[in-house]
Amino acid sequence: MSSPFELPSYLEQSTAVADRFRKLHNRPIKLQVHQLSKEFHSPKGKVNALRELNFQIHRREFITVIGPSGCGKTTLIRILAGLDFPSSGQVMLDGKSMKGPSAERGMVFQDYTLFPWLSVKKNVMFGLEVKGMGKMKAESEAMEWLEIVGLSKFAEVYPSQLSGGMKQRVAIARSLANRPEILFLDEPFGALDAQTRASMQDYLLKIWRNVDVTIFFVTHDLDEAVYLSDRIIVLKANPGEIDELIEVPVPRPRSPEQFLSPEFLATKKRLEDLIRPADSNSNETVPMIRLTEIGDEVE
Amino acid sequence: MHIRKDLSPGKQSLLTTGSFLIPLFLWTIVSYAPFIWHPDIKLQVSADRSGVTTVFTAGDRVSKEFFPTFSEAIRVENQAIMEAREQNKPIIGSRRDNLKKLRHLAPLAVANGWLEVKEQQNDEKLYGVWKGLAEGSLKSTEVELTEENIEVIRSNWRLLSAYAPTYDSKRYPTEAMLKLIPQGVSSNPVYLPAPHEVIQAGWRDFTTKPDNDMPTMWERYRHSLTIIFWGFTYSCLLGIPLAILCGSLDFFSKLHEPFIDFFRYMPAPTFSVLFVAFLGTSDAPKIMLVFVGTFFQLVLVIANTTRLLEKSLLEAAQTLGANRRQLLKRVIVPGILPNLYNDLRILLGWSWTWLVIAELIGEKTGLTGFIDTQGTRYNFDRVFPVIILIGFTGFFTDRFFHGLRDLLFPWTEEAQTGAKGPITRFILRMSNHSSYADRTKA
Ligand SMILES: Nc1ncnc2c1ncn2[C@@H]1O[C@H](COP(=O)(O)OP(=O)(O)OP(=O)(O)O)[C@@H](O)[C@H]1O
Ligand SMILES: [Mg+2]
Repeated sequence: MSSPFELPSYLEQSTAVADRFRKLHNRPIKLQVHQLSKEFHSPKGKVNALRELNFQIHRREFITVIGPSGCGKTTLIRILAGLDFPSSGQVMLDGKSMKGPSAERGMVFQDYTLFPWLSVKKNVMFGLEVKGMGKMKAESEAMEWLEIVGLSKFAEVYPSQLSGGMKQRVAIARSLANRPEILFLDEPFGALDAQTRASMQDYLLKIWRNVDVTIFFVTHDLDEAVYLSDRIIVLKANPGEIDELIEVPVPRPRSPEQFLSPEFLATKKRLEDLIRPADSNSNETVPMIRLTEIGDEVE
Repeated sequence: MHIRKDLSPGKQSLLTTGSFLIPLFLWTIVSYAPFIWHPDIKLQVSADRSGVTTVFTAGDRVSKEFFPTFSEAIRVENQAIMEAREQNKPIIGSRRDNLKKLRHLAPLAVANGWLEVKEQQNDEKLYGVWKGLAEGSLKSTEVELTEENIEVIRSNWRLLSAYAPTYDSKRYPTEAMLKLIPQGVSSNPVYLPAPHEVIQAGWRDFTTKPDNDMPTMWERYRHSLTIIFWGFTYSCLLGIPLAILCGSLDFFSKLHEPFIDFFRYMPAPTFSVLFVAFLGTSDAPKIMLVFVGTFFQLVLVIANTTRLLEKSLLEAAQTLGANRRQLLKRVIVPGILPNLYNDLRILLGWSWTWLVIAELIGEKTGLTGFIDTQGTRYNFDRVFPVIILIGFTGFFTDRFFHGLRDLLFPWTEEAQTGAKGPITRFILRMSNHSSYADRTKA
C-alpha cells in the first residue's frame, strides 16, 4: 500500500530546524548512556531486555523513546532514573556516574503513583518538605504549581477523588515542583482519553518551554512522539536495541495544526515503517471464522 | 439481590437486627416449646434410693427414660414400708434416715416461699412446713405437690405428730417413714438454660454484691479488660515497630521472622507454668500470656501488611529525594496505617481468646474465673450472661473501631464510597466534623 501523497524525506530539515539542532548539540551533555545492557533472569531463562545502547541527551532537550510493547522502554527509563541497575555499561549524569534515585531526576509513572493519604497540595509539597523546605514556603510553591497545571481548586482534595488526567497533572506538578534537572515520564498519558491527552500534551510543552528541564519521555503513540520531541529513539524488541535515532524536522513552537504538515507526516510514516516492518504489513490474510450466520446479503 | 453491591442503610440495619433476632428466636422456641426438645426432667422433689450411691437433689436433671425407673424404685420402697406396717411388723430405721426424708421437702418449700434460702437447713421451720401441708393450712403457689406426695406427707405427719406435735430436736420416730416420690418438670439439659433464667441470673449476679469479699462482676469485668489492655498494648508497642522494620528491610525480616514463625507454633498456654514460675501469681503472668499469644502473630501479620504496600509509592518518594528514614516516616507508616489498623482490630479479637486462658492460670480471676467456678457447679444460667457480655464487648469495640476508621483515614476508598454505619454517623455527629463533610463534597 503506497501513499497517494508525495511526502518529503523525514531527513530534510528547514534551515530554522537545522539551526535549532545545531544549537541543541552545542549544549552541555546532560545524560550519557554508554554500552548499556540489561538482562533479566527468570526461571524460563535469560531475557535480554536491552542490549548495548549508546546515546546522549543534551540539556533542555525533549527526547522520546518509542517501540513495540515489551521492547524495554520501562526498563530503560527505570535504569536512567536510578530505580534499577544496568547489567553492564554506564549511565553518566553531568559526566559523573550515578548511584540510585535522587531528587534531580524526577519520575512520572504510568499509573499515577500519588500518595493516597496526602491531599493534592501535600502531594506536591512532599519533595519540597523532604528537602527541608519550611512548611509555609513549600505550601506557597505547591500552590503555584497547582496553578500552573490548573488544579488549584483541588488543593485540599484526596487523589482518589480526582480523574485520571487530573491525577497525572498532580504527578507532573509534584515532580516539577522539585525542580529536577531531568524529568522522566513513562507513558504518562497512556490511560487518558484523546481530548485529555491532547490538552495534557500542550500543558507539558508549555511547562517545558518555561522551565529549565530536560525531558525523557516514553510512549507508544506515534503522533505524541512526533508532536512533543526534539529527537526520537526507536527501540526494537528482542533484544532491545536502538533501531534509529530520528531528529524531528517539525519546527517549534508546536501546535495541533502541524499534525497534518508534510514534515510531521513524513516523520510519522518513518516511525510506522520502523515499528511495523514492511513484510508484516503486507496483505496478510487474517484467519477468522464466521461465528454467526447473518444472511441479509449486506456485507 | 445484586452481587457485591451495597444494600441501602435501612435494609442493612434491618438485616443486622435480624441476624441477632434469628438465633434469639430459635433459643426461645427451643426453651419454651416443650415438644421440641426437652429431653430431661428437672427435679423439684428428689429422693434417695436405698442401696444406690448416685444421689440426685432437687434442681438436678435426669433423663426422661430414667425418671420413671427412679420414681418407681421409691414407690416400691414405700410399698414395702406400708406392707410391713399393715402386718404390724413396722420396719425400724434410724432417726437420721427419717430426718433426711423430711429434708427432701426443703427445696420445694423454698420455691414456694415457705422457707428462706438460708433456712433450708432449719429443721424446726421445716417441721412447721410438714405440719402445715398435712393439715392443709399451707397451699402451694409456685410449685404444686402431686396428690401422691400429699398422701405421703399426711401419712408421715400422723407418725410424727404422734411423737411430737411440735418440733423437738430429740423426738423423732425410729419407725421408717415414707419417702417423697420424685417429681419434676420437663426441661432442657442443664447446659441450655431458658432466656428468662439467664436474664434473671445475670441481673442477680451483676446487681448484687457477692459475700465473702469476692469481687463484684463489674470488678471482674474491669480486671479482664485491664489484662487485655496491657497485654495488647505491650504487644503493639514492641510488635509494630519490629514488624514495620521486618516488612521494610529484608535484613530484619531474615533475621527475625523465621524464629517468630517457629515460635508462634508453640502454643502460648504451654508457657503459662513458666510465666507463673518467674512472674509470680499476680496479674503479670496473665498479661504476659496475652502478650505472647498476640505478639508473634502481630509481627508476622503486620510485616506482611507492610510488604504489601505498593513498591511504586516508595520509588516515587525516592525520585522525589526521600532518604531511608523519610521513606519510613513519610511513606511506609502513613501508607500502611489503615491496613495496620484493620489488622489490629482482628488481633484484638484474638486477644480475648488468650484472655480466657490467661485468667485461668495461677489464681483464677476476672470473668473467666467466674465462668470456671460456676461452670463446674453446673450453674450455666450464670455462665451465659458472662459469655454474652464478652461477646458484646468484643463486638461493640470492633464496631466502634470500624466506625472510627473512616474518620481516621478519610482518604481510603471505603471512607469515601461506603455507606456510613450508625457508629460512624454517631461519632460524626458528636464531633461535628464539618471539615470532613466539606471534603467529600469537593
Ligand atoms: N523484573 C523483570 N524480570 C524479568 N523480566 C522482566 C522484568 N522486567 C521486564 N522484563 C522483561 O523485559 C522486557 C522489557 O520489559 P519492559 O517492561 O521494559 O517493556 P516495555 O517496553 O516497557 O513494554 P510496554 O510498552 O508494554 O510497557 C520484557 O520482555 C519483559 O518481559
Ligand atoms: Mg512499559
